[in-house]
Amino acid sequence: MTDSQLDPARLESEGLARIAAAGTAAELSAIERDYLGKTGLVAGLLAAIPSLPKEERGGAGKAANQVKGALTRALEARAQDLEGLALDAERAAVGFDATLPPPAVERGGLHPITMVTRELEDLFAQMGYHILDGPEVERDWYNFEALNIPADHPARDSQDTFYCQGSGNLVLRTHTSPVQVRAMQRLKPPFRAVAPGKVFRQESTDASHEHTFHQMEGLVVDKDVSVGHLIGAMKTLLAGIFGKEVEVRLRPGYFPFVEPGFELDARCPFCQDGCSVCKRTTWIELLPCGLVHPEVLRHGGIDPEEWSGFAFGLGLSRLVMLRYGIDDVRHLLSGDLRFLDQF
Amino acid sequence: MHISYNWLARHVDLSGITPQELAENLTLSTAEVEDLFPFAPHLGDVVVGHVLERVPHPDADKLGVCQVDVGGPEVLNIVCGAPNVAGGQKVAVATVGTRLPGDFKIKKSKIRGVPSEGMICSERELGLGDNHDGIWVLPADLPVGTPVNKALGIEDWVIDIDNKSLTHRPDLWGHRGIAREVAAIFRRSLKPLDTRLPELGGGAAFPVRIDDGACSRYLGLAIDGARQEASPTWLKFLLLAVGQRPLDLLVDLSNFVMLDLGQPNHAFDRSRLSAQGIVVRKARAGETMTTLDGVERSLTVDDLLITDGDRPVALAGIMGGEDSKVEGDTSKLLLEVATFAPAVIRRTSSRLGLRSDSSARFEKNLDPVLPEAAAGHFARLLREIQPQVTFPLSLSDAGTWSDPAHHLTVRASRIKSRLGAPITDAEIVDILQRLELQPRQNGDEITVQIPSARATKDLGIEADIVEEVGRIYRYGNIPVTPLVGSLSPADSDARRKLVRRIQDRLAGGARLRETLQYSFENDAVLSALGIAGEPRVEVQNPVAEGHGRIRRSPLPNLLAAAQANRQRHGAVGLFEVAKGYLPEAANEHGEPHEVHLVAAVLALPPAKGAGVGDGALARLHGIAADLLGHLGVKLLHAGELPEGHGYPTFLHPKKRIALRSAASEAIVGFVAQLDPGRQQAVGFDGDCTSDLAVMELSIDRLLEEEPSGSRYQALPRFPEVKVDVAVLAPDAIPGSEIMNLIEQAGKRAR
Repeated sequence: MTDSQLDPARLESEGLARIAAAGTAAELSAIERDYLGKTGLVAGLLAAIPSLPKEERGGAGKAANQVKGALTRALEARAQDLEGLALDAERAAVGFDATLPPPAVERGGLHPITMVTRELEDLFAQMGYHILDGPEVERDWYNFEALNIPADHPARDSQDTFYCQGSGNLVLRTHTSPVQVRAMQRLKPPFRAVAPGKVFRQESTDASHEHTFHQMEGLVVDKDVSVGHLIGAMKTLLAGIFGKEVEVRLRPGYFPFVEPGFELDARCPFCQDGCSVCKRTTWIELLPCGLVHPEVLRHGGIDPEEWSGFAFGLGLSRLVMLRYGIDDVRHLLSGDLRFLDQF
Repeated sequence: MHISYNWLARHVDLSGITPQELAENLTLSTAEVEDLFPFAPHLGDVVVGHVLERVPHPDADKLGVCQVDVGGPEVLNIVCGAPNVAGGQKVAVATVGTRLPGDFKIKKSKIRGVPSEGMICSERELGLGDNHDGIWVLPADLPVGTPVNKALGIEDWVIDIDNKSLTHRPDLWGHRGIAREVAAIFRRSLKPLDTRLPELGGGAAFPVRIDDGACSRYLGLAIDGARQEASPTWLKFLLLAVGQRPLDLLVDLSNFVMLDLGQPNHAFDRSRLSAQGIVVRKARAGETMTTLDGVERSLTVDDLLITDGDRPVALAGIMGGEDSKVEGDTSKLLLEVATFAPAVIRRTSSRLGLRSDSSARFEKNLDPVLPEAAAGHFARLLREIQPQVTFPLSLSDAGTWSDPAHHLTVRASRIKSRLGAPITDAEIVDILQRLELQPRQNGDEITVQIPSARATKDLGIEADIVEEVGRIYRYGNIPVTPLVGSLSPADSDARRKLVRRIQDRLAGGARLRETLQYSFENDAVLSALGIAGEPRVEVQNPVAEGHGRIRRSPLPNLLAAAQANRQRHGAVGLFEVAKGYLPEAANEHGEPHEVHLVAAVLALPPAKGAGVGDGALARLHGIAADLLGHLGVKLLHAGELPEGHGYPTFLHPKKRIALRSAASEAIVGFVAQLDPGRQQAVGFDGDCTSDLAVMELSIDRLLEEEPSGSRYQALPRFPEVKVDVAVLAPDAIPGSEIMNLIEQAGKRAR
């Protein structure tokens, strides 16, 4: 042990200097170990006391304890300083860039047709409509005959209809309308029902034509259902779809299973004075509809003298395209994640 | 169909009705007007010029230099190469700045050193036909400087009506039919039109025999002394306005009568028909004929022919034959005006891909009374233009048709309640009157007379009359009525609810992407998976070869979609809720058994040193277990999916896990890898090599499960102790056995 190590004043000043210079908690604990540890320098001072002349022992003890106290306080103070500095450094967040994009997280999601279908189902369910389902592989009778589309009708051309091989009475349904007669057979009037689903047309595809697409059929059967009711129901439906009142106009349209039959146009919700969606007419053709033809009611086992009804068809695929601004119908069933990931 | 405003005005007074108002009103009351546009608007920019003199071009033999007065302050100097231009003529002049069809702008120019300030136009240059032999020489009395269309009175508007909206209205396939609607809508009266046959000579009628019921009426009118010449201007320009190219008088008149009354007709060269006369019959197998367009057509026994004894001279209702057509020297004609069965005409025309203005009309079921009026109309128009023509023979008129006109009695009260409109009896009667339905009211009952033109297809029952009243009354005038009434509670529809929960869990929890796929399989994918031999509903007429089978399960299409996406993406996770059709389990109506399935595919980049639980199969197994847990279906410990039982044959023989419900002990679905060979065969090799797993759950099975809802368990009162148990066991001992042992032991310890 050198003289200096036994000089309390020097020991204290050296220790305080090292504490002041310490930059990390680890350095501080090293200093603490060196000075205040069991075999540290202060312990050395104390250990040296018994070997001192008696009269010096009291003073030396006091001095050693004062060194110990001073170093202990300095260590604590410095430790607090360092902690504060560390927090400040974290607050300074050097290198953090709030403008970086987030890391990619695997995304899941529903198909846009599912989303719009659900929205409509919920809307109709609130208004007391049953939500029905019908087969995609359908009997000729339900798809055509029961809907007043006789054997020689152009809609039955094989350019329009997929005919199934074999038994000869099966087609891929060309519209959701066969659910009308299935509904009449199952439900007792009065009732209201909608039936979303996939339909098929034998035609070559391009950006606006698909051989497979989605529709939603609607049917209301009640006493004295009138054209006035139909207009009211369609206005409610469109307000639900577009989230605002939509001006509509009804004009004659021909479908064999309704009489009278209409095309319902809605005032284009996307523009004031003509745009590409409405082909600059400010009207978009949206809903074929009409009063159910008496013959169709009869096919469904309902007496057209007692009951009447209205039916409508909503192009779900078309609505989805309008809603999201999709320019090519073929994307819908492509299964392409570059498309699906956008929803 | 194109309708000319001027043409309509021949039949009904349109004064005070603009083309725009006309179009709008037709759309709202009759049929959809798709477009409305002015006819040849450039004829408003081209002016009548007077050629003052023509002198030869100093530097070119074939060119002339004309001084043309176009009514301006200065006479124009125009270089013109036409051989027929001469001083004194009135001509059509496109002055500098005028745009002609084909975006051709007239500029000031110098031709071989001589300045030219405009162009003297031919008919072809004005888009008015093929005539380019010389310039178009106008009538001498036209005022100089006036726009050509004004001077000739051929300013017109074209109304384009959507043919589809006329499907049920055979009466609207001509201008007079549309005019009748206009008259009803605007409360005007239809101008009279004399279509009575002119006086006929006494010669024996040209022989006509109908051997097939598909021809309901065949009328033959013999005409002598007709000359081939160009049609008068009024006729030419009406045809041009509706998009018909004028050819010569006889062809033009035939077209005019069709477009006027809606009745197709055909003129034969009578001198080229055999004396046996006309025989209408079905074609024989292997028979051929060459139609007017020069194409040789192979016929079938379903095609209806017009023959002269034996030789086909026309494909009935569709197109005439090449070797009996009217040519320059014809003066003896036989005008055919007939009606045919719509289905027969439609089948032949669609099989041959030969659609004509004529077949489009016959497909709509034409009025069998109409041929006589059409023949009379043709004869009168022709005699007006060529007074020398005669009609030497009696009219040939064959067929077993009957007049379809009939009475119909409807109820005014029913019309009101179906429309839901505050319309009075008087208004109803007024509308029916305007529609020429001759209503007679007796109390609530109104009896109407359905004319033959509207009786073949359109008006048959009370609901049809509701439509007649409604469309003229205007649907827009009907007040909106809220639906009220008793309702049975709507179906709870358990399947739809279950499907929504499945979709939400897979999309939201498992972060898979929902996709919707075609219902058609791709045969190549089926072959790659080795399942092409399975029974499937198949369509007769697929859009593409090898895409005609209806799927039993969404998996094959999902695999193909996943493979296509893997070329662009790292990980691909897709699912679909879909229907499958099993023809081997058809019901008594022949409907294939419908199954409801949810399937998923997870394709990950090939794992590098991944541990147990990281691979696609383990992840998808986890997803399936989470989904089923969410649906309240507790699973038994996993076990191998048995072979057979209708499970896909393309699954891995070992890496296949059955999802078995604890409650019913039934298998509700599976997760599996693919047989490694099949996996490669569907394209998951090369860049697409993937760690791949599939899942399929039967929604029908899940609906039969009794879901166990979540149940609260008291929280443990003591801190839990986690025990890590490692068991060293031979490969042959399945994990589930060890898990069972541990669970049993745990129960005893509790």
